[in-house]
Amino acid sequence: MPEIIMPKMGDAMTEGKVVRWYKAEGDAVAKGEPVLEIETDKVNLDLEAEVTGVLESIEVASGDTVEVGTVLGYVGDGSAVGKKRGAAGKGGPFVKASIEPAASARLANGGQGAPRPTPFAQEGSTADFIRSSPLARKIADDLGVELGKVDGTGPRGRVVAADVRKYAHSADSGTGLTAPIVEPPKGLETREVPLTAMRRTIARRLSESIGPVPHFFLTVDLDVTGLLSLRSQLNDIQPVKTSVNDFVVRAAALSLLGHPLVNASFGENAIHLHGEVNIGVAVATPEGLITPVVRRADTRNVPQIAQEVRDLAERARNRKLKPDEYQGSTFTISNLGMFGIEEFTAIINPPNVAILAVGAAEERAVVIGGNVEVRSRMRVTMSCDHRVVDGAAGAAFLRTFRGYIEQPLRLVV
Amino acid sequence: MAEKTYREAIREAIIEEMDRDDAVLIMGEDIGVYEGTFRITAGLLQKFGPKRVMDTPIAEAGMVGTAVGMAMLGLRPIVEMMTFNFSLVAADQILNHAAKVRYFSGGQVDVPMVIRGPQGAGVQLSAQHSQSFESFYGHFPGLCVVAPSSPGDAKGMLKSAIRGKDPVIFLENASLYGTKGEVPDDPDALEPLAGSRVIREGTDVTIVSYSRMVRLAMKAADQLAESGIEAEVVDLRCIRPLDFGPVLESVRKTHRAVAVQEQWKPFGAAAEIAARITEEVFDDLDAPVVRVTGEDVPMPYARSLELAAVPHEEDVIRAVREVMYLD
Repeated sequence: MPEIIMPKMGDAMTEGKVVRWYKAEGDAVAKGEPVLEIETDKVNLDLEAEVTGVLESIEVASGDTVEVGTVLGYVGDGSAVGKKRGAAGKGGPFVKASIEPAASARLANGGQGAPRPTPFAQEGSTADFIRSSPLARKIADDLGVELGKVDGTGPRGRVVAADVRKYAHSADSGTGLTAPIVEPPKGLETREVPLTAMRRTIARRLSESIGPVPHFFLTVDLDVTGLLSLRSQLNDIQPVKTSVNDFVVRAAALSLLGHPLVNASFGENAIHLHGEVNIGVAVATPEGLITPVVRRADTRNVPQIAQEVRDLAERARNRKLKPDEYQGSTFTISNLGMFGIEEFTAIINPPNVAILAVGAAEERAVVIGGNVEVRSRMRVTMSCDHRVVDGAAGAAFLRTFRGYIEQPLRLVV
Repeated sequence: MAEKTYREAIREAIIEEMDRDDAVLIMGEDIGVYEGTFRITAGLLQKFGPKRVMDTPIAEAGMVGTAVGMAMLGLRPIVEMMTFNFSLVAADQILNHAAKVRYFSGGQVDVPMVIRGPQGAGVQLSAQHSQSFESFYGHFPGLCVVAPSSPGDAKGMLKSAIRGKDPVIFLENASLYGTKGEVPDDPDALEPLAGSRVIREGTDVTIVSYSRMVRLAMKAADQLAESGIEAEVVDLRCIRPLDFGPVLESVRKTHRAVAVQEQWKPFGAAAEIAARITEEVFDDLDAPVVRVTGEDVPMPYARSLELAAVPHEEDVIRAVREVMYLD
């Protein structure tokens, strides 16, 4: 009997959350049809049915988080609907996970609900006609709220959906609901924000990094006057708008070709030198930090890197990245320049051995040949894993990197 | 795929279908020697000759009547209305003949013809030249009425209309002619003459529209997104037959609907949309359907009044906020 199990989407994944079921027990499912939406530590996706049949039981409810391999539900021929079989069992991946974004518009179960009976009959006691929207009545029915008690904020005192929900979550509704509704905060309030899968992952991975990995930090102040001018010229002549960070990615990629120890990982018995230069670019999303990867960055020119980073960032913000787009980096770059940060130290993104923290490009007074001149400068700080990269090795890499940034024509030829 | 204008898309559809089938011909006022008031038929007279590209006198009833006869006997005429306002002169031929011949003949005789042209408001065209006809023609059984909003839909749907067996009222809009979009290169790529489409996904409100107003809805949706309101936009594409499934599915999700049309509120397309939504998903509604329409006056000539007489983005935004009980 085909089981629907929580799939392992990527090496680091140990658990996933059931966001919502598109189908109910007893519904027909077709092969290839999305049955439920799950949330992993990076992206949301739909799980499709591998066979055509009937969803006989749901073992894990919406909102619950389970280990990879847990059985979420059973699809059968319809003869045993509603029979719970338990969520245990680590069977093979019977369900093909669709990497397509969970498309909430594709609700296959096109609203078969029969019209709800109006709660007027249940109110009984009130003689007054209660103005309310059909949806408000439906929600009141679902949550066990007496419509007459709710304050209506719609036209002519109409009770609308928001009114019912607000009442249901308030202390005197007696519905037993305690979770506060998310409303725009007016000033600070003490409250709890449950950890999302993404936030847990960020916490775990970076703690695992800063703990065991012996970090040391090297800072250089770079002259980017020429780089800014080159960027401006490049943006005038070709359609893809490049940012300073796109040049930084290329400079880092080319530098890594000459410093393979910085493009490596620490292993139990060996240092693994990687054969590809895959640069992770840190992107801030509403849920947290994620580093989509520009693969083989040394083979891409600056406009190609710009286009790729923009596409990846867009998909990252919409939680639509595929695993091979956020895994497999060999070096990472984090840029907080757009926030005005001059300089910062970043935590290495395991299993990399280094990370480059890029600050804002600003005009500063510098001394050149005994004279004070105004130049555009940018500070970068490199964090290195001392198990693999010694001080001299890190410094040598930065010297090469400086060469590319301060002679930027070398990045476009 | 290539990016083309709506005008190019219409033009290509006509040329490709005339190349493909000798029975296809086009007639209209000033389409041949003058090359068309909107340049859609430029060069066609030279390419296909006067038997297939016919300049007609200013006689819409005669044009359409002739086309009905041609279609009944096996030709596939395309009639260009310089604007659909002038189709009123041919109303008897369209509504009492083209729309009813198949029915009267018990299905024995079809009228495969396309009446195409621009409709709707422009810049100071005044009351007789600014009207929309989707609700007028959409009312009559026996006609297929379509209003594509993009070049891709325009080309694919015009091809389907020309190849099909039905009399099709093909409603274009002059302000759409210059707009661009992706159009398939394949001359056999068709778009069906039925089917609504969700063109922007959202969760907070459903905005339903067609033709030029779809673009307005999309712009309003972008602005609404800045306030954190995500609107789902549905392009009806075809007025008759009306595929309402996607609209209903959307409203079940968002619980709120706004219908947008260019012309007068009484008895317009938005009334049909609102009635259908109320009939079929009443229990999922948190508010009545709000209609955004033009003002109930003959179109003014003065530009300031003309602008005030048609819907703008702010009107759609206001309607969305009303249906969400904001403000």
